[in-house]
Amino acid sequence: MLAYLTNLAVLIGINAILAVTLNFVLGYAGIFSMAHAVFFGVGAYTATWVAIKLGGGLLLATGAGMAVAALISLALALPALRVRGEYFVAASLGLQMLAITVFSEWKAFTGGIGGITNIPPASLFGFQLTTPAQYLVLTLACLAAVIAIVRALVRGSFGRSLKAIRDNETAASTYGKNVAVIKTIAVAVSSSLAAVAGALYAFYMSFVNVESFVLDTSVLLIAMVVIGGVATLTGPIIGTLLILLLPAALSYLPGLPSTEIGSIQQIVYGAAMVLLMIFRPGGVWSLRRREGDPR
Amino acid sequence: MTGAHEVLLETERLSVSFGGLRAVDDVSLALRAGIVTTLVGPNGAGKTTLFNLITGHLAPHAGSVRWLGRRITGQPHWRIARAGIGRTFQDLKLFDHMSVLDNVLAVTERDAWLWQRGGAAGAAQRLARAEAALQAVGLADRRHARALDLAYAQRKFLSVARLLASGARLWLLDEPASGLDPRSYERFLALLREQVARGCTICIIEHNLDIVVGISDRIVFLDQGRVLAEGDPKSILSDPNLAAIYFGERAA
Repeated sequence: MLAYLTNLAVLIGINAILAVTLNFVLGYAGIFSMAHAVFFGVGAYTATWVAIKLGGGLLLATGAGMAVAALISLALALPALRVRGEYFVAASLGLQMLAITVFSEWKAFTGGIGGITNIPPASLFGFQLTTPAQYLVLTLACLAAVIAIVRALVRGSFGRSLKAIRDNETAASTYGKNVAVIKTIAVAVSSSLAAVAGALYAFYMSFVNVESFVLDTSVLLIAMVVIGGVATLTGPIIGTLLILLLPAALSYLPGLPSTEIGSIQQIVYGAAMVLLMIFRPGGVWSLRRREGDPR
Repeated sequence: MTGAHEVLLETERLSVSFGGLRAVDDVSLALRAGIVTTLVGPNGAGKTTLFNLITGHLAPHAGSVRWLGRRITGQPHWRIARAGIGRTFQDLKLFDHMSVLDNVLAVTERDAWLWQRGGAAGAAQRLARAEAALQAVGLADRRHARALDLAYAQRKFLSVARLLASGARLWLLDEPASGLDPRSYERFLALLREQVARGCTICIIEHNLDIVVGISDRIVFLDQGRVLAEGDPKSILSDPNLAAIYFGERAA
């Protein structure tokens, strides 16, 4: 049971990093990306490649993943962010579909459909991380660092620029903000931080394949952010907890036939999403926050 | 006019069409330092379109815009803004979900990078500028409210505070007094006069003739995209032909 809970906690931590970094662009900048799982994947594959081919440790592998993810995000952002919202959604969806093909076909780098197994454990300052508990500590440390970075950025001038662009892009540029550059930097930061989750995932699972980085993952991450509450620091974490704990809790519900659990989960998910968007359109956390707002 | 009243902005035979409609047609005008120019004319005369051409929100089909003698036609609006041209919009375009203070602070932060240049001293300076702008428009005590939650007149003043804090040398105001009650409107006029006294150059689109007379040094009368007349307020407003056009009647 403890092993199960530790495993769940590590996966929640990794997904929380993804949700927090997606919220950075989606919630604060209003950039609706359908391709966040791509950068998760790029981080995972790059870290794997560095660890296996170069014998690199955790820091080198993660750093390389972040750099490659940032570069690829620039390729998406530079042309796509010159146009408005809905075109970016389409462009990011295109990137997601393209990435799935590359992840499944570029066997030399990704191992193809079968993926890559036996990824060596992460090493940090000569210390090898092998147990789930060690990965849990590492994941929580990374999550804390990512939250600290995002928090510092959104509470500072950069966050103000993002929110200004989100609220009124025309006004932001009319007052001298170079919208395309600010959005591009935001996407690059978000993507490179998402790659941290990818590296952690690869080392923790010691196995990666395309299944983890498909469109479903991107959609699930959007759900985590939207359900938890966009443009809040806590919202995406609450959303991650809800989305990942719900199936776990349902699995333990007595009286449910194990063959039906999958479809019941789908129904509960769907109903929860619809009800939430009707009654709490800003997400779980945003409503709580607004109640306490001084008017 | 020379010296104190040098030409800041000049449009040369500026034209733009939407389909078959010439929205701005061969407009040449000069905005001089320290002079308040008001654009008047019936709806659809091309006043806002002219603003959009000056600030780079629209690209002209012909003609050019010069700022301090340099051609700025075709430049992105953020660059035109940084050169010193600021504007307000009829629909205000506030950052609705941000606080009043953040609305103003945001326009003082122009570096696109993750942080602004100037360190803590620069940040303190920008904050002081933002606070002073809020103080000037009487919104200092609402600095933590969301822009969305302000009353209409306060929202108008917030849009002016943004302009004030941006440090723009030329203000293009698009119907700034519409919807203001008499007291707010007096306050608004006083604020504009104060800014002009401080060296600000203002160009206003306005339908309220009291404002037009109360603050303008010069009036440019536009109709169907063309400049029909320009001159001092008295001569323009006393012209019966222009009055007939303005009020939708046929010119004599």
